[in-house]
Amino acid sequence: MKINSLKKKLVVLVSSAALVTGVTAVVPAQAADPACTTASYVTTCVGATSDTAPYMFITTAAFNGTVLLWSHGLRPNVDIPAGIPGYGGYKVTNTPEPAPGGDKAIIGALLGAGYGIAGSGFSRQGVNVQQAVAANVELIDIFKKKNPTTTKVVAWGASLGTLITQTLAEKHPELVDAVALVCPATAPTDALISYFGDFMWGFKTFFDPTIKGFGYSAGAAGYAESMGDLVKFFTALGKLQAGLVSGAWPDTSSPAGKALEAAKVPSRSALTLIGLMAGVPMRSEHIDGTSGPTGSEQLFPLAIAPAVAVLENAGTVGLAEVLLMADGEAQSGGIVFDNTKTDYAARVDADKDVYSMALSGNTAVGAMLGVLAASPRVTGSAAAMAKAKTLLAIDGTIKDPTVLLTTESDQFTVAGAGQWMIDGYAEQYAAAKAAALKAYSANKSYTAPVNNLVALWAKTGSKYTKFTAAGSPDLSAAIGAGTGHCKFTPAQYVAVAKMAANVAKDGKFPNGGPIATAARKVGLSYDNKFRAPLFKSLG
Amino acid sequence: MVQSNRSDTEERNNNPARALDGRKHMIGKNRRKLIAASAVIAAGSMLLAAAPAQAAEQGVTGSTIKLGITIPMTGIASPGYNKIPGAMKAYFNYVNANGGVNGRKINLVVKDDQYIPTLAVAKANELILKDKVFALIGTLGTASTKAISRSAQLSARGIPSLFVNTGFSGFADKKAYPTSFSLLPSYQMEAKVIGKYLDENYAGKKVGLIYQDDDFGVDALNGFKQAGVNFAIKIPYASGSQGVAGVAGTWITKLQAAAPDVVILFGVSSATAAALGNAYAYKYAPKWILGSVGGDATTLAANKVPPAFLAGAKGLSFAPAPSDSSDEYIKMFMEVNATYNKGVTFDNNVVAGMTSAFLAVQAIKSAGANLTRKGLIAAIEKNAASFANPGLTPLGYSATSHVGATGYWIGTYDATGALKPDGGKYTVYTTDSGTGAVVVSTYKRPAMPAKGLPN
Repeated sequence: MKINSLKKKLVVLVSSAALVTGVTAVVPAQAADPACTTASYVTTCVGATSDTAPYMFITTAAFNGTVLLWSHGLRPNVDIPAGIPGYGGYKVTNTPEPAPGGDKAIIGALLGAGYGIAGSGFSRQGVNVQQAVAANVELIDIFKKKNPTTTKVVAWGASLGTLITQTLAEKHPELVDAVALVCPATAPTDALISYFGDFMWGFKTFFDPTIKGFGYSAGAAGYAESMGDLVKFFTALGKLQAGLVSGAWPDTSSPAGKALEAAKVPSRSALTLIGLMAGVPMRSEHIDGTSGPTGSEQLFPLAIAPAVAVLENAGTVGLAEVLLMADGEAQSGGIVFDNTKTDYAARVDADKDVYSMALSGNTAVGAMLGVLAASPRVTGSAAAMAKAKTLLAIDGTIKDPTVLLTTESDQFTVAGAGQWMIDGYAEQYAAAKAAALKAYSANKSYTAPVNNLVALWAKTGSKYTKFTAAGSPDLSAAIGAGTGHCKFTPAQYVAVAKMAANVAKDGKFPNGGPIATAARKVGLSYDNKFRAPLFKSLG
Repeated sequence: MVQSNRSDTEERNNNPARALDGRKHMIGKNRRKLIAASAVIAAGSMLLAAAPAQAAEQGVTGSTIKLGITIPMTGIASPGYNKIPGAMKAYFNYVNANGGVNGRKINLVVKDDQYIPTLAVAKANELILKDKVFALIGTLGTASTKAISRSAQLSARGIPSLFVNTGFSGFADKKAYPTSFSLLPSYQMEAKVIGKYLDENYAGKKVGLIYQDDDFGVDALNGFKQAGVNFAIKIPYASGSQGVAGVAGTWITKLQAAAPDVVILFGVSSATAAALGNAYAYKYAPKWILGSVGGDATTLAANKVPPAFLAGAKGLSFAPAPSDSSDEYIKMFMEVNATYNKGVTFDNNVVAGMTSAFLAVQAIKSAGANLTRKGLIAAIEKNAASFANPGLTPLGYSATSHVGATGYWIGTYDATGALKPDGGKYTVYTTDSGTGAVVVSTYKRPAMPAKGLPN
């Protein structure tokens, strides 16, 4: 059979039920040769690494020698009770994920193009970078043994999976030929902890001081505390939503919060302030920040929209804070967040004019910052904070060609993470160029450093909010482009994967035109001059 | 929105000459000389062939220059300010009809941001990325202009932001806003001038203040503090809240309770109108001092404040009064307005728009035939302090400062709403945004170029 003809058939076949069967196959509990089955030219292998991390890889008869090793994002390492928004009813799972979300369209497109795909479910969930990297190292070896024609390995991942992927690429560049980081969480540990910690600390300080947020107990007691926090957090969030227009504060608010309420500072202003000081995007899946309902075209975006955006984003931020902080503390042996020296006034200084009405003006901002300044801070454990850095230890060095895809208004992995990688690489490249020039001075031979980073953006549109007949933002409408966490289409994932696979071939990215065209075709942007704000804690 | 840029790869890999700071490598001495000679010849040929039409900068063609403005054309802050783009266009069209600037005609693209900073950012991005303008001009409002500068990354992109319509003193700071240029005197300067006036005319009297509770107001408060003004009552309002029913009424009841002798209204037109309208309804009539931002009589009239209600109030301006047809600039602007902006009442907003356009034309002319963004910024820094313009105060542009006008004259509104200089002549005070004294200016502004066209 001719290859082209086979490929065409495969494109159809890999989207079929054969794949679904493969994805749900039983995985051996410990390291052994993978168990493989072949149906309709598609070979699916499952197995477990030496630390019991289940994995799966799939190839077709037209395997082109390049395998895409996927690392999935955060899965909580504890069960989440029903009723918690977002993750309610979640049970801990380590089902292997060989492609984003096990999406059939993505898998079909990649296998149809001749790539192999592989991915693990890892032996541990939660903050699992070290375990995941070890599993991936083993998986690469297992895949290559089973597929000796393998020539290139592309490591890719999303969200927490980008930390796994980047760590793999930094520690073992020899195992990887190209990298793709989708909705990157790639940032210094302190910045990630600060983002979530600052938000939760501000939230509890204003709206419910009984939320623990930090310093969870060990074991079952800590689990109960964290789940209790989630209930309290979402309850307060619901009350804030109810008081958006009236400005009423939740009845669980702190005495200082209630004093602000008495001083006519609306709760939405406090929520907006917390969002700004933590660096939560001021646009969300349904709030563009510029639209208003009929009759309130100007007042809504000025006064209300920022708080609604923070509210819509806050669910993810608060949930992640509790889960990550509890797991991070358990693994690090103490509190990993410290805001004893944080200057929250400086954090909001540049934004307070832009969101002046939402914040109720400088006088109200001064009052709210006064409350925060007078409230007890969280003191971290030096040892625990040092340990936490070993759990999420990247330095951002790019050793293999890397494609970065960042969402401008992602509330979980904020755009500052992508920007941090871009800025870091600019320094890395400048240093390489300086070294090349120095070499030229010595031996009159100049070799230009090769560019190893292409940064793509999912930019947020300017108008996408829909309003109901009653004039409320319609939170059930389609989400805006460039918003939400890892909300990419299959075509966008595939485009990024193919871009990385192509550069893996010869180690050189094409020039700007083809990159821009490929990005544009799937609704992404290639704009070297675009710059997202860095994490608030990074200045 | 996707821009087709040269890629990182192109920039980084394909330009070893640039990487070597222009030095060639691995070539012998003779070849080097030959190449150098060829380069000189080639450069000479290029110079000979270079016509004004050769610019490759975004927004510039051989025959056109595209500028962009985002400003509130609708919404609560729009009355009055929405006349600025029309006035700019009128002057540009006048220049275009007379041959343009260095052979190019200026087109102005106008966007409506409703005085919403986040919308202003979106509109500025549209202007830059979609309309591909060469430069921004006249963006209005401190918060919007700051948000645009930061979010649209004007500095990183090297995009000029000409003659912003805000008196926030920060925009004169070249380090913070390297591509932005002020035109209006700063709010700090204005407050200092008002402070001097109060000191000379209302010493020992109770003073009240209504101000916008953001950097606009902070600048003013700093100026009043430097001038030693003590307020009996200060009423801050969050930008936008003046449009909320009932808010402005509370300002007046608070003022009535505090009973100041003089009240300074230091807000945008809609806030000034809301204060005056409610004062009228509450039969409250202190001595008013209107800040320049909100003190245009025709705008206030459009906001239902009868001109007669302004009679006796004090106001400030850095340009001649719009009613002063004896001034050569005002006369020329009136004629341009009549021809190219038909049916639009001539007022401070028209003067402001035309003044910005007038300076922009000179800046573009001064930047030369090979128009680039860098060249335009350099030309303003180098030459704009001596540009002709209607302003009665010195312009402060230099290589280290982007400050525009630097002072005010004080006048009194008559029953028609016209602001007339006290004593029948413009006594112009000049100062800075720091601790410098307020002094009477001896500045002699440049004469208007023939027909109001740049030389």
